[in-house]
Amino acid sequence: MRIEKHPILGDIVKGQKVLFTMDGKELEGFEGEPISVALKAAGLMVHRHTKKGSPRGVFCAIGRCTDCVMVVNGKPNVRTCVTPLMSGMVVQTQYGVSTKAI
Amino acid sequence: MKRYDLIVIGAGPAGLSAAIEGAKKGLQVAVFDENEKPGGQLFKQIHKFFGSKEHQAKIRGYKIGDELLKKAQSIGVEVILNAVVVGIYPFKEVTINIEDEILHYKADAIIVATGASENMINFKGWTLPGVIGAGAAQTMMNLHGIKPGQKILMLGSGNVGLVVGYQLLQAGCELVAIVDAAPRIGGYGVHAAKVARTGVPFYMQHTIIEAEGESCITGVSIGKVDEKWCIISGTEKHFDVDTICLAVGLSPMSQLLKMAGCDMEENPEKGGTVPLCNKYGETSVHGLYVAGDVSGIEEASSAMIEGRISGIAAACYLGYMDEEEMEKEVGQQEASLNSLRQGMFAPGKKGQVIKTTDEGYNVSINLLEKGYMADEEIENYPGVKRASGIHPVIECTQNIPCNPCQDSCVKNCILIGNNITSLPVYDESSRCIGCGMCVASCSGQSIFLLDDDKEEGFSHITIPYEFLPLPKEGDMGIALDRSGVAIGEAEVIEVKSMKAFDHTHLLTMKVKNDMGMKARYFKQLKEVSL
Repeated sequence: MRIEKHPILGDIVKGQKVLFTMDGKELEGFEGEPISVALKAAGLMVHRHTKKGSPRGVFCAIGRCTDCVMVVNGKPNVRTCVTPLMSGMVVQTQYGVSTKAI
Repeated sequence: MKRYDLIVIGAGPAGLSAAIEGAKKGLQVAVFDENEKPGGQLFKQIHKFFGSKEHQAKIRGYKIGDELLKKAQSIGVEVILNAVVVGIYPFKEVTINIEDEILHYKADAIIVATGASENMINFKGWTLPGVIGAGAAQTMMNLHGIKPGQKILMLGSGNVGLVVGYQLLQAGCELVAIVDAAPRIGGYGVHAAKVARTGVPFYMQHTIIEAEGESCITGVSIGKVDEKWCIISGTEKHFDVDTICLAVGLSPMSQLLKMAGCDMEENPEKGGTVPLCNKYGETSVHGLYVAGDVSGIEEASSAMIEGRISGIAAACYLGYMDEEEMEKEVGQQEASLNSLRQGMFAPGKKGQVIKTTDEGYNVSINLLEKGYMADEEIENYPGVKRASGIHPVIECTQNIPCNPCQDSCVKNCILIGNNITSLPVYDESSRCIGCGMCVASCSGQSIFLLDDDKEEGFSHITIPYEFLPLPKEGDMGIALDRSGVAIGEAEVIEVKSMKAFDHTHLLTMKVKNDMGMKARYFKQLKEVSL
């Protein structure tokens, strides 16, 4: 999904490669890019499920609609489309307003 | 409580332009923006802008953004990011959420330039992951270097839908269709034409019936609508897609103004709820101004001018310049704004059916309904003439505010005149030297060079080309006509790339000579995915 070379923008400049976890699984992304971009690069579409159980993903990508919120480092309702990825982040699918009850 | 002469809310094209004007007049200016980076949506605009030289025409949006930022920094404008303005109170008090704190600021004048947000429409499955705003697609690919999807359907044929549709192709995505419930394409014909010629179909009077999929999108069905906007049974079509982009308009983000007590109006022409304001952008609250999309949806070029006007007016309001001087400066900006607000897409002409151009040429129904000009009508326009030797073919047939082609031609082959919405005329009495500057400078990519005399039995056609991989001399491919239909073999004769062309490459291909007036796109035989 990543664009390696763009006809107008040329080479896409990114931060350094970092590791983070998504529901316990280790994934790779670039530091400073939105969490949602790293998730998309890994093919992940579903960010959360509403209380009634219907899936949601990125809609506006600029932090307005809050459809893409997830639990990040234990904090719920984090807008992943505008929150920069950092090494070691713990990202979890959000169910309602929390992680899945165990 | 920190004080400024002027607080600007929003660091997009309007806000930055306003701040620069204010600072120029000696005001102490702070700009607050909720985003991590300034520039608003400008840095996602990778296409060349329209207008004339004074509007920075033929410069790509992100470069205009770079310039604005540099100017703002050099003149001492303070830009404060990750700062969400949450309230405007009496006496110009502003509350701002920075990190987890609410901070109080006070200004003597405020300019609100908060822009707009994307609209959405409902259909079955519209909340599924994979249904995104067209702006979201732009953000993903042009800011973050990631494709929004592999196979995409675009809903909406306004300029946003058309421009983002083209950018999806540039990013290496497959665009299966552009769909719109309206009977006519809403955006510029030239934007539609550059998408149509690559083979993307337009489905007008169609809408989405359902976005299909369980946990995310796997397909979409569309159907034709009748005059009551109901699906006509038997017209349903299915596409396998992983993404649907919605380009169904923008709404002004005017909530802060309502909160501040400004008189508001519901104005569909302006895209929704907007504050009432005078020609300086001043609202019913003295010293509180608006600029850009928040006061009515337009585009970035006019937003920048509105920003300048409100910045100048605020400086006068605070006593940093006298009224006479202010009127003079505002007058210049207004003239520039008016030249953009002409033509068949001018504000106020929304929804009107315009049948002839200002010059009296018929407006192409094909272009409005299918996205391309028919072969039999193209030669009716003043930019398209048969001539010997190399010459431009200017397929610009609607009155839109743009004139870089005229400025680009050193031989004066292209005439528009003083009114920048006039159709370009090709003057055969001038000698085209085939430099290609007009091809590269046309923001609508609607100029081609044609030479029927270079080689017996063949036509040489030069087209603007902005895709990867870049074909090279000797490559064989397929020539597509304006509708995107394959019409024969094509061989690449030359690919010219120059800094002055700004990433628009000039690809010259050779086709059988009866195809010279038809072939408008080169499809590579082996389209390597990016």
